Amino acid sequence: MNATIAKLALQALLGRRRFFLLLAFPVLLIGLVALVTALLDGEAAYEVLPNLGYPLVLPLVAILAASSVLGPEVDDGSIVYLLSKPVNRYGVAISKWVVALGATLVAGALPIFVAALITGDSTRATALFVGAVVAGTAYSALFLAISAVTRHAVIASLMFVLIWESLLGNLFSGIAWLSIGQWGLRIGHEISSALPDPANLGYAIVASLLVTVVGAWFAGDRLRSFSLTGDE
Amino acid sequence: MSTLVLDSASRWFGNVVAVNDVSLSIGPGVTGLLGPNGAGKTTLMAMMSGFLAPSAGHVTLDGKPVWRNTETYRQIGLVPERELSFGYLTGRQFVRANADLHRLPEAAAATERILEVVDMVEPAGRRLDTYSKGMRQRVKIAAALVHDPSVLLLDEPFNGVDPRQRMHLMDLLRRLGDEGRTVLFSSHILEEVERLARHIEVVVSGRHAASGDFGAIRRLMTDRPVQYAVQSSDNRTLASVLMAHESVRAVSLRGEHLDVQVGDLGSFAVDLPGLARQHDVTLFELSPSDESLESVFAYLVAR
Amino acid sequence: MPEPSPGAGRPGVIHDLGYRHFDGLREGTPAIARTLFTTGLRHAYGLGRSGKSKVMPFLLLAMSVLPATIVVGVVVLTGLDELPVSYASYTNRTQLLVSLFAASQAPVLFSRDLRHRSIVLYLARPLAAPVFALVRWLSLTLAMFLFTAIPTVVLFAGAMLSGLDKSDQATAALKALALQALLAMMIAGVSGVISSVSLRRGFAVVGSVMALIVLTGIVTVMQNIAWFEGDNKAVSVGVGLLSPWSLYTGLANAWDAGIDTPVPVDGAWVPAYAIVAVLLVAACLLGLVARFRKVGSR
Repeated sequence: MNATIAKLALQALLGRRRFFLLLAFPVLLIGLVALVTALLDGEAAYEVLPNLGYPLVLPLVAILAASSVLGPEVDDGSIVYLLSKPVNRYGVAISKWVVALGATLVAGALPIFVAALITGDSTRATALFVGAVVAGTAYSALFLAISAVTRHAVIASLMFVLIWESLLGNLFSGIAWLSIGQWGLRIGHEISSALPDPANLGYAIVASLLVTVVGAWFAGDRLRSFSLTGDE
Repeated sequence: MSTLVLDSASRWFGNVVAVNDVSLSIGPGVTGLLGPNGAGKTTLMAMMSGFLAPSAGHVTLDGKPVWRNTETYRQIGLVPERELSFGYLTGRQFVRANADLHRLPEAAAATERILEVVDMVEPAGRRLDTYSKGMRQRVKIAAALVHDPSVLLLDEPFNGVDPRQRMHLMDLLRRLGDEGRTVLFSSHILEEVERLARHIEVVVSGRHAASGDFGAIRRLMTDRPVQYAVQSSDNRTLASVLMAHESVRAVSLRGEHLDVQVGDLGSFAVDLPGLARQHDVTLFELSPSDESLESVFAYLVAR
Repeated sequence: MPEPSPGAGRPGVIHDLGYRHFDGLREGTPAIARTLFTTGLRHAYGLGRSGKSKVMPFLLLAMSVLPATIVVGVVVLTGLDELPVSYASYTNRTQLLVSLFAASQAPVLFSRDLRHRSIVLYLARPLAAPVFALVRWLSLTLAMFLFTAIPTVVLFAGAMLSGLDKSDQATAALKALALQALLAMMIAGVSGVISSVSLRRGFAVVGSVMALIVLTGIVTVMQNIAWFEGDNKAVSVGVGLLSPWSLYTGLANAWDAGIDTPVPVDGAWVPAYAIVAVLLVAACLLGLVARFRKVGSR
């Protein structure tokens, strides 16, 4: 864990226009839920979260955060300024991941918690928050790993979220075993049964942990073999 | 004393061979890596800086490989060609971040010291994206030097830099070379290399075409005669005398000058003064007319 | 062999090596625009570029056509007397794929030129910035239209094969195609503007996804809540003015093209929807032209 790299990653995330994009998500989500609660009631408003907030906004925030801290620098090769130092590559990956994780939790999981609280049932809100924290952690590590591999990280991650988890997940329930979102929900189910129970608890915990650790490690490993290949 | 050694290093990308069996060794002082665009200079620099693995052969610094060896970066300072994408940082912050990443015990002092060396103290408080190209180059060099490395690698450092800044940079690099550091810079512009580095490595189409002092390289091109321009008190007489000498291949009168093509430098140089005196001719000027890097380069590329 | 270099002070000479100007017939601006259009269309599908750039568009196209072929198979084999899903509704169901296609290909057509400033070179030719922007938008629009039209054609072919009523199906298909044209214009406009503002490809994609997927999701949720929970017709229909997809489904519903919205769109809402759709396209085009002018003149 390298404080300088983390600081640089944080500055990269905050000091640009993309920060406003990142901010737009929580503002939209909380705004929408508050509006619907005001117009109707909390129960109706809550529906926004498992249909829109949790499966779509949370992963989108994770994609944005993870690709912001690693993507552009790897893309145009300026990460070489960070790598041409005697710093441990895994440390670089973890430092960047911590920043991406923080952004995901603050702009993704926390607004879900706040929005769920607005709709009433605080146990359910806590459950969803815990699920969002777990899913957000695994998502950010996975997307960080994808950012380290391809320059089309955003689209690839989006396809994973939208097509694999959302579209196919709604069609085939067997996919629940391979869907990060479902693992998060399962863990949250322990706190409030308002959340669905798609898979085995132990499996969900282990799988989330595994994806997180492997994702961060993989990103570090790719950085070890980072190559400057001329003008492309 | 740090020496970068490439031992039969090659690098290919699919079917394209970018670097073809190059063996060279870079020692202390300023060395220029010269070659036309696409010759493989950037690939070579990437291999020497540990950011590209050789497909074959070895690249070592003082005997230790540079690929996947983060400890070598204590000794290496790299100034890549890539633009900085840290535009939101100030110059000082950027150099300081580099110092922190090296875990220097007195990062702040080292930062100030190196900013003075590159003459960037006054603009150091401004953001990087407000700098001119030359200023950005100097900040990059400062960042590469902050940990006092014994090896400095610069990839096309004079690209897009205005003439005055270029002079500054050249002075800086010369000083660093004189301090005993190993400085290697790449360029495809002959004048730059000619002015700064006496020792050059020439790379053409991925192959190591020549190495050494460019004058020495020229002298190795024995299949092409050396050209001299002579000015004397009686060119025509001198011309007829020289034509009789066995080392002279051709002689031609050109206005005020006498152009002599010489096959064997040694005997010509020894015999010329004597011949001139024998025939009462005073020599005013004798200068090689094609020892510039340009002609050396042209020969090498044409081969 | 190179001549020996002259000593200092010698005047330079340039030799005529046969450099010639082009004196032949030059094609005019329409030809330039036409070439730009076809190149843009091909690039949207990755044709004429590296293999990797073909993966995403064709993958998405395949995924969008596959269910159509399955439906056709089912209809033909089981002899149903009408398609289980209408032409317009099929496009709506595959909206994720359509939006992803736009989000992923709009940067190819818009962000690249502006990011690497090659736009300045293009505009040094006799093609003005507004025309350039418009032609690019047209390429993307046609690319999107093809993306939605191909499954429609597949469904239509299946309907014809299984002997469904020709004129009915043809009318339905034509209505759907007309609506898809409008949809393509809107989506191309929105994703085009976003890609020309946010020049890094990744963020352009996220921006387009926000505008096309997240926004649509929000609007759908609000439409449902307003009607099913709040019994409020006006709000439910009104909120549908806020996203390209809901404009599409609203107009399809009004035109009887086979889509059901929570509240049927009728009366004064119909021209409202149509006008807003056209205004959206116009606004996007203005935005594009302004953006290209600005970047091209720096």
